[in-house]
Amino acid sequence: MNQCFGCNTCKSADKPLEGYIAGLPLETSHHRVENQSTKCAFGLQGVCCRLCANGPCRISPEAPRGICGADADTIVARNFLRAVASGSGCYIHIVENTARNVKNVAKTKGDIKGVDALDRLASIFGIEEADVYKRAEAVAEAVLKDLYLPEYEKMKLTEKMAYGPRYARWKELGILPGGAKSEVFHGVVKCSTNLNSDPVNMLLDCLKLGISTGIYGLVLTNLLNDIVLGEPEIRFAPVGLRVIDPDYINIMITGHQHSMFTFLQDRLTDADIVEKAKKAGAKGFKLVGCTCVGQDLQLRGAHYTEIFDGHAGNNYTSEAILATGGIDAVISEFNCTLPGIEPICDELRIKQICIDNVAKKANAELKEFDFENRPAVTEEIISEVIEAYVARRGSVPLHLMREHGYDNTLTGVSEVSLKQFLGGSWKPLIDLIVTGDIKGVAGVVGCSNLTAGGHDVLTVDLVKELIAKDIIVLTAGCSSGGIENCGLMTPEAAQLAGPKLRAVCEKLGIPPVLNFGPCLAIGRLEIVATELAEELGVDLPQLPLVLSAAQWLEEQALADGCYGLALGLPLHLGLPPFVTGSKTAVQVLTEDMKQLTGGQVIINGDAKESADILEKIVMEKRHGLNI
Amino acid sequence: MKRIMIDYEKCDGCKNCSAACMQAHRKTEGTIYDLDLTDPENESRNFILKDQGGNYRPLFCRHCTEPECVKSCMSGALKKDPESGHVFYDENRCGSCFMCVMNCPFGVLKPDRVTKSKVIKCDFCVNAGGEPSCVSSCPKKAIFVEEVQE
Amino acid sequence: MRYVIIGAGTAGLEAARTIRKEDGSAGITVISADTYVHSRCMLHKYIAGERDEEQLDFTEENFWDKFDINWMKGVKVCAVRPEEKVIVLETGEKVSYDRLLLANGADSFIPPVGELRRASNVFGLRNLSDAQAIVKEAGHAEQVLVIGSGLVGLDAAYGLLERGKKITIVEMAPQILPVQLDAHAAGAYQKLFEDAGVRFILGRKASEAVCGSDGKIHKVTLDNGEEIPCDLVIVAAGVRPSSAYLEGSGIACERGVTVDTHMQTNVPHIYAAGDITGLSGIWPNATDQGRVAGKNICGITEMYTDTYAAKNTINFFGLVTLCVGRIREEEGDQILIKEDRSQYKRAILREGKIEGILLQGDISNSGTWQYLIKNKTDISSIQKDIFSISYADFYHIDETGRYQWTGTGKM
Repeated sequence: MNQCFGCNTCKSADKPLEGYIAGLPLETSHHRVENQSTKCAFGLQGVCCRLCANGPCRISPEAPRGICGADADTIVARNFLRAVASGSGCYIHIVENTARNVKNVAKTKGDIKGVDALDRLASIFGIEEADVYKRAEAVAEAVLKDLYLPEYEKMKLTEKMAYGPRYARWKELGILPGGAKSEVFHGVVKCSTNLNSDPVNMLLDCLKLGISTGIYGLVLTNLLNDIVLGEPEIRFAPVGLRVIDPDYINIMITGHQHSMFTFLQDRLTDADIVEKAKKAGAKGFKLVGCTCVGQDLQLRGAHYTEIFDGHAGNNYTSEAILATGGIDAVISEFNCTLPGIEPICDELRIKQICIDNVAKKANAELKEFDFENRPAVTEEIISEVIEAYVARRGSVPLHLMREHGYDNTLTGVSEVSLKQFLGGSWKPLIDLIVTGDIKGVAGVVGCSNLTAGGHDVLTVDLVKELIAKDIIVLTAGCSSGGIENCGLMTPEAAQLAGPKLRAVCEKLGIPPVLNFGPCLAIGRLEIVATELAEELGVDLPQLPLVLSAAQWLEEQALADGCYGLALGLPLHLGLPPFVTGSKTAVQVLTEDMKQLTGGQVIINGDAKESADILEKIVMEKRHGLNI
Repeated sequence: MKRIMIDYEKCDGCKNCSAACMQAHRKTEGTIYDLDLTDPENESRNFILKDQGGNYRPLFCRHCTEPECVKSCMSGALKKDPESGHVFYDENRCGSCFMCVMNCPFGVLKPDRVTKSKVIKCDFCVNAGGEPSCVSSCPKKAIFVEEVQE
Repeated sequence: MRYVIIGAGTAGLEAARTIRKEDGSAGITVISADTYVHSRCMLHKYIAGERDEEQLDFTEENFWDKFDINWMKGVKVCAVRPEEKVIVLETGEKVSYDRLLLANGADSFIPPVGELRRASNVFGLRNLSDAQAIVKEAGHAEQVLVIGSGLVGLDAAYGLLERGKKITIVEMAPQILPVQLDAHAAGAYQKLFEDAGVRFILGRKASEAVCGSDGKIHKVTLDNGEEIPCDLVIVAAGVRPSSAYLEGSGIACERGVTVDTHMQTNVPHIYAAGDITGLSGIWPNATDQGRVAGKNICGITEMYTDTYAAKNTINFFGLVTLCVGRIREEEGDQILIKEDRSQYKRAILREGKIEGILLQGDISNSGTWQYLIKNKTDISSIQKDIFSISYADFYHIDETGRYQWTGTGKM
């Protein structure tokens, strides 16, 4: 017998990581997969209803309706709408905080790192303010105003932000969203007990929530953050557990709200604070990226080379990052901060601090980020982290994995930086698509889960299949974290691409998989898609572009997915979103959606089959465009 | 012989065993995700009963040492396999008299719901790899296979 | 040891199977008038043309080879001589035995009404040979009269409906299936048969039948004078143990061959099982009697205890019924009825015990009722709707995973 906690860990696409986790003396989510492998069939199909005291009711051949009379279609649609509304709520929370931060920075005449980004947005919104701070404040205020509208008043910026043909279609379908927060409210009312029973009506609401989530929660969060945090710049950076440098006091960050860290991250490099760190025995402070907020820092890493060590891994790598012993504190502000890190933090005496109470962890100290009091809160946080460092270092053993990951991972890709890279125009990319050197574009986005073959297994296998078919892959979300730790975002990965794509990559010195960063950057991908469509003079569903949230995990992903469907894009999922118990829901999502928006859901858990299906769709779209 | 043992105190009544049984015996290809839970042709061979105290009492074919169902079968459709000890049902031979339903003292058997011409009977998943699907689907391990002396 | 078994029904063959298990070197001979092993319960399927002779076989594949049994088929036994330990065949041939099992069943009873017994177009429905004869006669018959509406009468009618015959059924009782069902449940089957074109005449019996010059009955007169034209008559008025050949053998017979609880007759080394004993006409019971006889023949003492025979299942036109125990109401009974559009349930309760159950429409998971009725289980302490009582209320599992009975159901 050895020290391993358990030898039945799940597979990971990241083989060194799989071995590392299997050898840990700590329990991780990877250890728990096996004992949770028996799944409730009724839950899997979405036909378990717990909305009232008569429940749980489950649909079966002898019981085709719940006690209230709700059939499988109603139960599934209600459950799905509830999930989408929750997911939308999460992203709307993020954009609300982001906009408030921009507003506060502007009001206090703080640092506006991305003036170009501000000007682009102001121009879209039709805001003409000479003063940069006033301009920023007006932009933020316009977003907030929309978010707070009632459900019965349509948001004003939707039309300005959306691609014309899409907006027209949404209007036709009656799915233009009212105030984004109110839409979440409306959604949860609709799917409560004995209200709506019309599955199609509820699924249309999901599309509406998809639009508010996508335009506000995704697209605008990025663009607002670019104003104050700086714009992404293409560069190479290290990724993986190798980024952890034990000579520093290391803070792992998790969440989705980069703007909440800015003050802290600036302060951590101030001389007096570095001096404090040195007194404690460290060279200084470093932030170690994890989950989407880590991706966001990586994306904008050109602005933070001093404080940001690099992105160590995605949500299901977080336990391994902590297990290295090199992390002294976790500061979290949102998901995907796994509850499972808590016992590990206890064991390894890692300080946990939450700065947004929606994501308060059980054993974390809540130090809410408060714009006005941020200097005081920041000082408190810093001294507690130093305290933790002093208490644990030396007594908690290090179990680093310096060889894990890659040094030359391409990052900093955005709708703006990519276009700049191509010489300020999309034409070179369009030309490559037209000639077939790039057969099509696949956005492999969303989360990482442990059940679609294992940790990032389906995602990574699918990406390999797609690039081998000369389909370029753009990523955003925790999927990026897994894919980059498997080396697919280094220029050398071009070898894995099909001959045409490989030649393109080698000529440009880029990998066949381009990382746009956090899941929020799905919004950036969609800006790219829109700009390509505009350039070609077609609507989005006509593009040889497919989406895959192969290893979608959370309700947020479902809200994102609904945005993809509203945009009219084919959306592949590795696991069904608990809807297959309803023939109507399946029909609407996988078939009827083609008529509604042009989109469709494809559910397939096999990488090769999925890639074949997506390639077929790409070829059909190419055929439609006569290329 | 191998028998599905039942630790009934552990049963939560989740009926995953029933869903797994339907899945194992469905006529169409597919996964648990697309098993049609509203199709009356999908039937489970196991049942989660409740006693008067509301306690779950899983009812699974015992593949009895002296099976009453076999004794009552007038068509030769039900036979106890001398090698495995399991009682197998051949629906092609079945005369649909349902004397087996009447004769199983534990009430495990039933006529099929739709045609009332076949008996719904545990086959130990011999055609699905031999590991009973119900057993592998039980989240509580309330059912498990064990070798027992007859 | 030479074992001879007369009869290739379930009792005889189960006995043969049991003997082989107990005595690997035994010489086992089965002698039967039947030339096909067949299940009597499926003869209607033969009449209907749904199955051929081979498909009526109820034994496992290669039964005779597998159990190493010598089968003399198509042979009638005309006498048993216990003092010589031989049986005499119709051919005059003698077969000697060390142990003998009488398991040749019963014969249809044709009542002495007019010339029914004489006519060439009147049949019982007991053996494959009956069914073969019926099919042959039906080839040139249009109108069929079935006398008796028990299970055999309805089986015959069901089979002949498939052949497009016009069928009239005469029943003495005021309802069909009088032994098995109450009037309400019987009515459901009556309607299904009537919808299929069968005419029922209830509360009447045949009083006269005269053969024509062709030796066939062309009409039967009922006790009210009504004349029923027919060119094929099926008599389903019960069976009698087929024991005539035992006359003078010294083997005691009353209704059937008399046996003790070990299935042994009054004559040493001679046993009987199945319908010839007159104990019951139920397949599972016959099988069990064969098994018990087989054990005892091999010197292993085993008692035939599960004698309960008041049980039946019925399945016509997809309407399934189970009836166990008493059907007729007696004074002091508590009758519980539940009915909806898909099922009818009726229970007779007396002194905390269930004495009869009838389930029509849905008989799923109903096997426990037989156990509770035949063991006179007191269910008065079970605070449940009677019809939802199940094995769960008596649930217990032993260490080998077998279900046992506990609580009020404990034996």
